[in-house]
Parts: sequence; structure tokens; C-alpha cells
Amino acid sequence: MAEKYPVRMGDGHFVEMTADEIRAHLIEGSEDAADRGKIAPLEDSEYDFLLDLFTNPARVVGVPQGHEVVLTHDIGTLRLDGDQGNSGVGIPLSRLQGIQVHERAFAADTMELGHVDYSWKPVKPIIAQEQQVLENVLLSTIVPIFYGAMPNLGLYYAPDGPFGNPSDLLPMAKIDEAREAQELAVEHAIRDMVYVATKLWDVGGDAINFDTTGAAGDADFKATLHAVEQLKDSTDLAIEVGMAGEFILGMHGKLEYEGTRLAGLFPHDQVKLVEKAGADIFGPVVNTNTSRSMAWNLARAVTFVKACVEASNIPIHVNMGMGVGGSPVFETPPIDSVSRASVAMVEIARVDGL
Amino acid sequence: MNEQELMEAAAAAIVAADEEKAVELARQALELGLDPVKVINLGYSEGMKQVGDLFERGQVFLPEVIIASEAMVAAVDILEEGLPEAEREKTAGIAVLGTIEGDVHDIGKGIVATLLRVYGFEVHDLGRDVPIDVFVAKVKETGAHIVGSSALMTTTMVGQRALEQKLKDAGLRDKVKTMVGGAVVTQHWADKIGADGYAEDAQEAVQKAIEIAETMRG
Repeated sequence: MAEKYPVRMGDGHFVEMTADEIRAHLIEGSEDAADRGKIAPLEDSEYDFLLDLFTNPARVVGVPQGHEVVLTHDIGTLRLDGDQGNSGVGIPLSRLQGIQVHERAFAADTMELGHVDYSWKPVKPIIAQEQQVLENVLLSTIVPIFYGAMPNLGLYYAPDGPFGNPSDLLPMAKIDEAREAQELAVEHAIRDMVYVATKLWDVGGDAINFDTTGAAGDADFKATLHAVEQLKDSTDLAIEVGMAGEFILGMHGKLEYEGTRLAGLFPHDQVKLVEKAGADIFGPVVNTNTSRSMAWNLARAVTFVKACVEASNIPIHVNMGMGVGGSPVFETPPIDSVSRASVAMVEIARVDGL
Repeated sequence: MNEQELMEAAAAAIVAADEEKAVELARQALELGLDPVKVINLGYSEGMKQVGDLFERGQVFLPEVIIASEAMVAAVDILEEGLPEAEREKTAGIAVLGTIEGDVHDIGKGIVATLLRVYGFEVHDLGRDVPIDVFVAKVKETGAHIVGSSALMTTTMVGQRALEQKLKDAGLRDKVKTMVGGAVVTQHWADKIGADGYAEDAQEAVQKAIEIAETMRG
């Protein structure tokens, strides 16, 4: 009887699989990415590498010395003190202390300051407070500090904003109205993001992170690209663009940037536009399918990210964690999964950072 | 144009979201004396299925799906003239949808609502941040076949379990099927709370809803 190995499913629970079964899942996952993204699947030697990872009995795996990559955290300041249901462990710490803990105890290579709303728009009325906190953080840390928030175009639609909500308008077949609302939201979001980021630059900010870009669809991505463009013209901020999902949801469907339709772009195409806009780092996301094994999910994620790295001229810091990058959907993803997924991203996809 | 060619042209008109062509073909089908139900099921619905597959693969997008569905609705309106009264009233099923109280994420749920309408469901979308009692009251009022709840946070997904219990308390649980979705929701969670259906994405949700509604109609 063939030996069986514990492999997690995308929802985190363990199943037992033979090496042949794991290999079959790896191939199927990679080919799914290749088919959707019109990119190359992994090679035989890469399937062998992944199979070794999954059959390795060690709970935690790592890369050889010299292969380490940059380890950075988005929304990290909130991860310790936050307890919002989707991240955070509820330890009462200030944001400054959270950053210091990540720098001094967790060896983070960069850190990020973020507000609990974690969207650019709500930061606008409290920008003076955020400037003050950022200044304190910058004066008491050594690692580069990002200020991070989501473009979150949802906040520009009813009931939170001035424009009609495409989620309400589209089901009523009010397509022109839904599209117009998104186009107007793009203009407002660009203005808000540029305003807030410029104010943070004024107090010496090192960098900003547009996190979870594209969460509200193609308009979200378009607003971010234009904000990046404007900020690179007017400031010397380093800019990271991190994504929300593996492809751009077409809530508008016709929006373009520099002649390229945004809806439906996968990471290897997204990065080209991010680069064109002038960003310095790109954070691709590949979503985890909870009904599939981690072997399927990880091979799929690595296939997408490998193509993205190959297409990119800027550093790629892949998003790893709850439900992304091949890791299961867990508030705090298990170390056996995260370490395997991280090794695969470094050794096969050749990412520059996690 | 023979029957088969008309079916294929009807499907193609939907994929191309060409309402004018879809309507013209529907009139032609009636003139040729074709069975309207067959033309809807094997022609226009087949086109809509292809649109759904393209949507799932990220090759067409929500506005295009809606434009295609408008073309289908216009064609079906014409074909219904050739149907008996009882057939005209039919829907694929009645669905009540909403995002659980405390949760304001509703893009995914909105897409599911739109696609269910496209596939002929009567949809009652309760929106976001919906109290459990409101779900239960709407199920009771509409006689829904399916109640779908969405949760994007681990703090709100517990509301899906409460919904199961409140439907039991109201004596409705054996009359309605429950479906759960949302980023943090999994098949394992659906099994744990006793929900009848779970889907990874909007297109899968629609397929499962169709299967469930067909089972309920027997």
C-alpha cells in the first residue's frame, strides 16, 4: 500500500494523499492557472520540488542560507492589536508599539502604518493625526516605513459616498448609470489618495502601499494607477501596489489604462501597468480555493506568480497569508502551510519578497 | 433556417449580447411554429450558459452579462406569446439573498443576485448588514425555495449558523434550502452548520441554486 502524507485542504483541514495523488493535484492546479492566464504551466522538475515539499515530514520548512528574501508586512500595525474578525490577535498595543515589535522582535524588513479603517478616504479628515503618528514612528524605527490603505472605491458609492452603488444599479440593468458612477468615483479617489499620500510625504514618509487594489473592480485599479502616476511626478515616495485578487473584476468592464482594458487582467499583465504607472514594488495575489487541496492551490499560485516575476522589471513581493498565495483560509495561517508556500514562491517563482 | 440553425443563432445572439438579433430570431421561431420552450432551453439558455462560463473564466464581465441577459429577456418576452398562461408565470425558483448583520461586503452577493435573475429566479435581495430576523421574515413572506447568506468575516459567519436555528424555530427549515457563501466561508463550515449548499464563486452558486430548485420542484 502506497505511503500517505498529510496535506491540507484550502479550508485548512488535513486529508491524506499518496505521492501520486499529490503530483496529480499539482499538475491540475498549475494547468488551471496556465489555462486561465494563458501562461506556461510548471515544469517536471518544479513538480518534483513541490512534491518533495509536501512529502517532507518537517512541520516547518525553509530556504537555504543565501536564498532569503525581503519579508514585509502590510496592515502589520493592526495585526497585533486588531481583533476585527478577519485579522488581528487582540493584544492591546499602540500602532507605534506594533511596528516596533515587528521590527525588533519579528525581524520585519519593512513595516507599515495603517489606520483601523484601512482605506484612503477616511484618512483624509484625520490626516493631521496620521502625520503625527507617522512622524513618531519614523523617528523611532530604522526599517523603511510604508503608510498603507486600500483604494476602496466602495466608500464613494451609496450609502457611504456620493455616487450610486454599482452593486445596486447593475442588477437593475442600469448599466450606463453604474458605469458613470464608477468613472466619477475614480476621479474622487485619485484626488483623495494623492492628497493623503502627499501630506504623509510632507512629514518625511518613506513609502506608501496601495493595498487590496482592485477590490471594488476595474475602477479601483484604474484610480490607483493614476494616483501612482501623479505621486511619482510630484513626490519621491516609494510606492507599492498590492492586489486584492488574482484577476481584475470587471464591475465597469470598459475602463482602460494606457490603451489596455483593465477588466480580467491576471498578475503578469497587471504588473506591466503598475510598472508603467511608475510603482516600485508589485504585490500579486492568487486566491485559495477552499474546496481544493493545498497542492492544487500552491501549484496554481506559483504558476501565476512565476509568470508575473518573469514579466516584471520591478520587485515582486507576493501576498502570502489567509486565503492567498497557496495558504489556507485561516485567520492565522498554519506555519506548515505558510512555510511551504513561502519556499515554493522563493525557489520556483523567484519572488523578491514576501 | 432550420430548427437547429435557429437554436445556434439564438445562442450566438445572446453571447454577442445582440438584443435586436435575439428578438428577430424569436419572432422567426414563432413563425416557423417551433416549440417556444425548446427554443428557450436549447437556444437562448444555451447562449446564457456560454456567457456564464465566459464570466467564470474572467473573459466577460458583469455589465456584459447583464446586457446579454437583457437580450435574452427581450427574446423570451416574444416567445412567451406562444406559451400557455401557466407556462408564462413560471420562474426558476424564488431566492432570498443578503449579507449577514454586521457585514457590509456585498459585491459578491450582488453578483450572485444578478446572475440568479439572469437565470430566471425571482430574487429578493435584502442588501447588506441584514438582521437574521429579516431573512426569516422574507422567507416566510415569499415562500422562498432558497435563502442565501453571505459573510466576509469570521465574526459575521456565525450569523449563518444563527439563521439555520431561527429558520428551525420559525418552522421553515424543512421548506427552504439554505446556501452560504463569502470569502471566509467553506464547504466544511456549510457542513458544520447544516447548510444545504456552498459555492466557491458566483457561477457555481447559480449552478447549485438551479440544482436545488429543480430538486425542490421534483
